[in-house]
Amino acid sequence: MCHDHPMPTALVVDDHPSFRRFARRLLEAGGFVVVGEAEDGASALARARDTQPDVVLLDVLLPDANGFEVAELLAAEPRRPVVVLTSSRSADDLGASLDRTSARGFISKRDLTAESLATMVGEL
Amino acid sequence: MRPALVVTWAVGAALCTTLFVGALHGDWLSPAQAAYAYGGTFAAITLGVLVWRRRPDSRTGPLLTAMVFAGILPDLDTVFYRSALAVTIGLAATELLIPLYGHVVLSYPTGRLGGRAERVLVALAYVYAAVYALPLLLFYSPAQPHDQRVFECLPCADPLTRVGWYDVTGLRDALDKVLFVFAVLFLGLLARKLIVSTRTQRRISLPLLAAGAFGAGEYIVQYSIFGTQVDSWHNETWFWIVTSANLAIPSALAAGLLWGRAARSGVADLVLELERTPTGSLRAALARTLGDPSLELALWLPERGTFVHGDGTPFGVPAPSASRAVTPIGPASEPLALMVHDPALLERRALLDATGAAARLALENERLHAELQAQLAEIRASRARIVEAGDVERRRLERDLHDGAQQRLLGIGLALQLARSQLGPDANGAAELLAEADSELRAALDELRELARGIHPAVLTEQGLAPALRTLAERSPVPVHVLDAPAERFAAPSEAAVYFLVSEALANVAKHARASSVRLRVESDGATIAVDLEDDGIGGADPERGSGLRGLADRIHALDGRVTIRSDPGSGTTIHAEIPCA
Repeated sequence: MCHDHPMPTALVVDDHPSFRRFARRLLEAGGFVVVGEAEDGASALARARDTQPDVVLLDVLLPDANGFEVAELLAAEPRRPVVVLTSSRSADDLGASLDRTSARGFISKRDLTAESLATMVGEL
Repeated sequence: MRPALVVTWAVGAALCTTLFVGALHGDWLSPAQAAYAYGGTFAAITLGVLVWRRRPDSRTGPLLTAMVFAGILPDLDTVFYRSALAVTIGLAATELLIPLYGHVVLSYPTGRLGGRAERVLVALAYVYAAVYALPLLLFYSPAQPHDQRVFECLPCADPLTRVGWYDVTGLRDALDKVLFVFAVLFLGLLARKLIVSTRTQRRISLPLLAAGAFGAGEYIVQYSIFGTQVDSWHNETWFWIVTSANLAIPSALAAGLLWGRAARSGVADLVLELERTPTGSLRAALARTLGDPSLELALWLPERGTFVHGDGTPFGVPAPSASRAVTPIGPASEPLALMVHDPALLERRALLDATGAAARLALENERLHAELQAQLAEIRASRARIVEAGDVERRRLERDLHDGAQQRLLGIGLALQLARSQLGPDANGAAELLAEADSELRAALDELRELARGIHPAVLTEQGLAPALRTLAERSPVPVHVLDAPAERFAAPSEAAVYFLVSEALANVAKHARASSVRLRVESDGATIAVDLEDDGIGGADPERGSGLRGLADRIHALDGRVTIRSDPGSGTTIHAEIPCA
């Protein structure tokens, strides 16, 4: 995957502003360049097209859409970003949808760190 | 009786008497023939007036009366042959019997013509009668008939409308052919009417349809033999056949009325039957007595100001139409109940009234029963609403926890991580303090998540029953084999009832059953969700002792479901539940 930044770029998608704020600071402290934030599925798709991020940290429960559906739409984009799903709920609560998604993986918000995200994203 | 009806009847009686005397005096008919023709006609007029009086809203009475008059008006010139007016009326009515005959038969018993084909045929028959009469009125003279089919009558008056001389024999021959076609089409419509009628209509109208078929068949045979209408006054055999055909319609109606009177004896049986009829079965008893399986009974509940079925469910009373009629029981302004039935039964008004009167005896019990059923239905609906409202509230609470406290705690957790990452080496033990705070926070988050899950599982709301049940199975300390779980979504209260039943049952297995495994099967046939849960533990569970399963059984009953628990000592515990899908 080619990109203009020396460090991986990320888009944070979550409907809670406090989570977006802390996640941005956490990821930036961990070596990511956060190129944008979005609060719902529609704006996530628009921001992803504008900013072309390497990674999208995507909340499962959005006001206008299901994170799994947004992940599938992002996977169909020409410059397909790596999508990592996140939620305040556990993987148990999300059931079999996690097995079927084309997202790279899932990190509970409780366990989210820049390192856990980088590990899941792997080599870009 | 209304004066108009009395006058009609009196005119008919006078006409029949006059024609009878005239026929004997002029030696046109034998005494037996005259008595049959005009005695029968008088009886038919009497019947028509009676039907008219009993059913003023129906056209059958006036149509029948008009038909019988139309049958004798052409005979006026046999007595009043010197009267130009009588001759004119007789000629104008020459074939008027034909459309009225078809109209009476095809519109019975509702009094309305059923379909387009019937309306068209009857309308064409009226046109036929007019076209037949017009040339006679304009060109016919009894003194100089110029029509090979009419006998010369030198002293007879000309019609008032005569304008000249013209031989119309050819036109009348052609119209006889038209009448033949009418007769065939009429037979076809009678057959169709017989096929499409309801059982009640068929039973009531069969004598009249048979009489109609006799009349049409008689003309078809007549035309086939003679190629024209036979002059029945000069052919004794055909006199009896044609006159019988004309009288067949009123005879069939009279037979129907007599049958109705006989059927009223069924009302006496109904009174006896009502003594034994269990409450809630009045409708069936009335339907049997009236011979109308489609009969519905709407009970008036004054406290609610509404009509209900016997089971207490609301009854939408239809507007009277060609397909349904409504007869009140009790005063029409404040009926105790309504019978909604086949309109054909209106021909049996006396039977309807007698049946309704007999039914009043049993109505009070029936109404109390319906009131009770309505209250039970309301309680059931109310229980279901309470359960649903509880589920909605649980979902709201879970969502509030997720969006509120949980998000704030997560934010604090992220902030703690940031703080830890930004601490320098001279933090004076602050890193340990932050790690401890983070650990406490994670524990609080776990407890909060468990609390939210217990209130209402997000996986159920968002993913449905199958993923939620698999999650339950995975989290159970006793291994659970999920043999089947439906992938489709159901109404939220039904899904919640199944989920909490399985959740509570698995918790009980873990606590008390000492089981090594559980088998779970959840299936749906589209109407019901069936849950079967079976463990291989020690059994002996008493669902009445614990409040958990008892509460869940209440929840399931509130949704009109049922649950059975078998737990014989040493044989494990089996739970079977059936819950409506919606």
